[in-house]
Amino acid sequence: MPNTQRYVKTGGIGFAVGAFFLWNYPNLGIGAALLGGLVIAALCLLYSAPLPDMIKAGLIAGMFGAVMTIVYGTDKPGVAIIAGMLSGLGAGLLVFQRSPQANPKKAAILGAEAGAIAGAWTALALLLTAFVIAPAAGVDAGEFAEHLSETVIFADALGLGSDILILLFAFAFSTLSAAILGAAACAARSLPLRPNIPLLAVIALPVLLIPLIDRAGNLLLLDALIPIYIFILLALGLNIVVGYAGLLDLGYAAFFAIGAYTTAMLSSPHLGINLSFWLVIWVAAAVAAIAGLTLGAPTLPLRGDYLAIVTLGFGEIVPILFRSLGGGPPSGTLTLRFFGMPIGIEQVDLTGGNKGINPISPPHLPFIGDFEPSNKIPWYYLLIVIMGLAIFFINRLRDSRQGRAWMAMREDELAADAMGINVVRTKLLAFSMGAMFSGFGGAFYGAFIGAIFPSSFDFSVSIILLCMVILGGLGNMTGVIIGGLLIQGADKMFIPKGAELFRDIANERASATGSSTVGVSALQDLTQQRLLLFGIVLVVMMLVRPEGLLPNERRKAELHPDDDTINSNSVAAEAESDPSLAA
Amino acid sequence: MAPLLQARAITKRFGGLTAVSDVSFEIEKGSIVGLIGPNGAGKTTFFNMITGLYTPSDGDMIFDGKRINGTKPSEVTKLGIGRTFQNIRLFAHMTALENVLVGQHCRMNTGLLGTLFRTASMRAEEKAARQKAFELLEYVGLGRNSADEMAKNLPYGDQRRLEVARALATDPKLLLLDEPTAGMNPKETDALTALIYRVRDERELTVLLIEHDMKVVMGISERVTVLDRGIKISEGLPREVQTDPKVVEAYLGTGHAAKGKGGGAPVFDKA
Repeated sequence: MPNTQRYVKTGGIGFAVGAFFLWNYPNLGIGAALLGGLVIAALCLLYSAPLPDMIKAGLIAGMFGAVMTIVYGTDKPGVAIIAGMLSGLGAGLLVFQRSPQANPKKAAILGAEAGAIAGAWTALALLLTAFVIAPAAGVDAGEFAEHLSETVIFADALGLGSDILILLFAFAFSTLSAAILGAAACAARSLPLRPNIPLLAVIALPVLLIPLIDRAGNLLLLDALIPIYIFILLALGLNIVVGYAGLLDLGYAAFFAIGAYTTAMLSSPHLGINLSFWLVIWVAAAVAAIAGLTLGAPTLPLRGDYLAIVTLGFGEIVPILFRSLGGGPPSGTLTLRFFGMPIGIEQVDLTGGNKGINPISPPHLPFIGDFEPSNKIPWYYLLIVIMGLAIFFINRLRDSRQGRAWMAMREDELAADAMGINVVRTKLLAFSMGAMFSGFGGAFYGAFIGAIFPSSFDFSVSIILLCMVILGGLGNMTGVIIGGLLIQGADKMFIPKGAELFRDIANERASATGSSTVGVSALQDLTQQRLLLFGIVLVVMMLVRPEGLLPNERRKAELHPDDDTINSNSVAAEAESDPSLAA
Repeated sequence: MAPLLQARAITKRFGGLTAVSDVSFEIEKGSIVGLIGPNGAGKTTFFNMITGLYTPSDGDMIFDGKRINGTKPSEVTKLGIGRTFQNIRLFAHMTALENVLVGQHCRMNTGLLGTLFRTASMRAEEKAARQKAFELLEYVGLGRNSADEMAKNLPYGDQRRLEVARALATDPKLLLLDEPTAGMNPKETDALTALIYRVRDERELTVLLIEHDMKVVMGISERVTVLDRGIKISEGLPREVQTDPKVVEAYLGTGHAAKGKGGGAPVFDKA
């Protein structure tokens, strides 16, 4: 009875999350509990429900579009356009994952259906927002209509005067673009190409279009998207160390800090050195790579738990070091001492201590000029270029002599040694390569934020990165990207915006009944307890699917030693496609 | 002609325990030599000293005219000693092809920059390596179908063959096989024996094998060395060793040695 078990398990998870919300936010009431619990329970149930893959993929991918539309929709209904496109793309990829097709034509039809379902689901969320959620959050019809005409692109150009027309247009556009993207993605995936350029183009298209839609609709999504992408870049680097080479690194944020601080010191008025960003980003990557070697060298004989402890210490030391290199000792920080004497460097303010370094010079390009903090579009495209290169090169590393050496070392270090692999060099290379990519990430981060503080690089950053890698699937780059989008999307988009929405709804209810308003505290509570939420997600993942969402085939087999993976999967698939077997 | 491998008065002590004591022996180029002995005789310890996992406490290990005491395992492999393991140690979650490719690691030269920029020489090398890996898989009797199979999903006998293929991929001059037929049925054992002969004849390798199965070792080896409690007790042609009373005693105890005068103990059946 595997399915019954799954329903019980997933229903229980949904109930637990719902109870968590209700218990923590009694003011927010049943609504918040229902939303939080329902979304997760529904996702889990959908995943195991005996539905055709096409509907399942559409509903699961559409769920994310729908949640995005609901949390943003009250002030920015135009988000539904982007949400529809992305969920359509997701549905197309997911349906192929579930039922691969050899025939591109069939794949396109399947993808179009899944995409249309995802898009329609998102569009329905928009209607729900317009007629139920926006009024509940205290946005009256006139105000909502204004948001609608401001943020839905093309609405003006098409001369859609009436709000209902705009709503219908958004509905149709979201569904249609989702269907097209779903079809294209699914068809492209069925092509036996390597590398699969059409697939890359289909994925790149919405990613590259986002800033333009964002600007046209004034959605301000890039503020959240850029930090999300930075974290994904870091997670890709961490994946080299943990996923490929099998070295558990709990202090990865240290390399991020080193990259960012290198950039800050070399490219700001703080030390009077103001080099160009285009030079500094390489220096930062090189310094981070060298730091990777420095961490790697003394930890060579260590494995597993012991290595984890040492890297954890390293991750703690680096921010403290940057704090204490900031001139005279501010109260409560560590001072470098040598036989009790404060040593020289503390007299020089290298890092600004707790105050950090501010400002950091932005990159400069001909025609564009300095990258402005107010205009995120050049930043976005620069980051896309960096990420594209990172993915490209990490892919090459993985499919090479080096990558094989990493994996062999992960599988069996002694046998790898006996096969002529220099374990020392292989480990050091893994550490320094992993660190190098976070050096790029750190350099971009420093320039983008324009100021850095030691507190931006604490332990939680390392842990969140590790969560992203584990959630997505150790050793699988696509998985890591998806895991990153989910965790960071929840952290930077869904939870804060959702909390805001809950607060508005609760305030509206409170003012209707004449009781006191909830205020900001509940919002802060919710965003501050995100770590607890990640903890719950990780525990659940470890119980339900320890190999991650998109496992590396090699890991997957390792984590389920008792059952024959291939057989159990095919049995489960049969049971799902035939409801009579599920009983 | 100088021997390919020469052990000169090798001793290995672990704390107070002497696992191998003053063992000297030689392996001629192109021969198949068996190293036998009861459990705990020091065979595997001796093996590990050849492959660099242990450093001898005393004595010299000379391979191809070069002293290899204290050389790291990966360096020893590079010098031309390939090995298999007693308990199969494949890279379980990599495909058979990848396992063999890993074996070729130390014979490939592409560095980091070559990999990142996928230079012409890197692509040529990678292509040649794949070609060679397929050939080796076929050579040990694993078809193309097995190439993309994960190592842990292969049948037991095929895993042993894959280990041999992986060891051959390191381009060894000396191939060390640690109980290659352990756990095999007679049919698989015969096939593997044939493979060992082919490896020696066609690839001009020298083979040293540790075996528990007396039948196998007597059938395949041209010379046999017997260890007991860390001491070399006998050496010579299989026929001579079989009838050596010291060997019979080591395997079966003193009582049998006295009785064993008529044609040897039952374990030494003609292979």
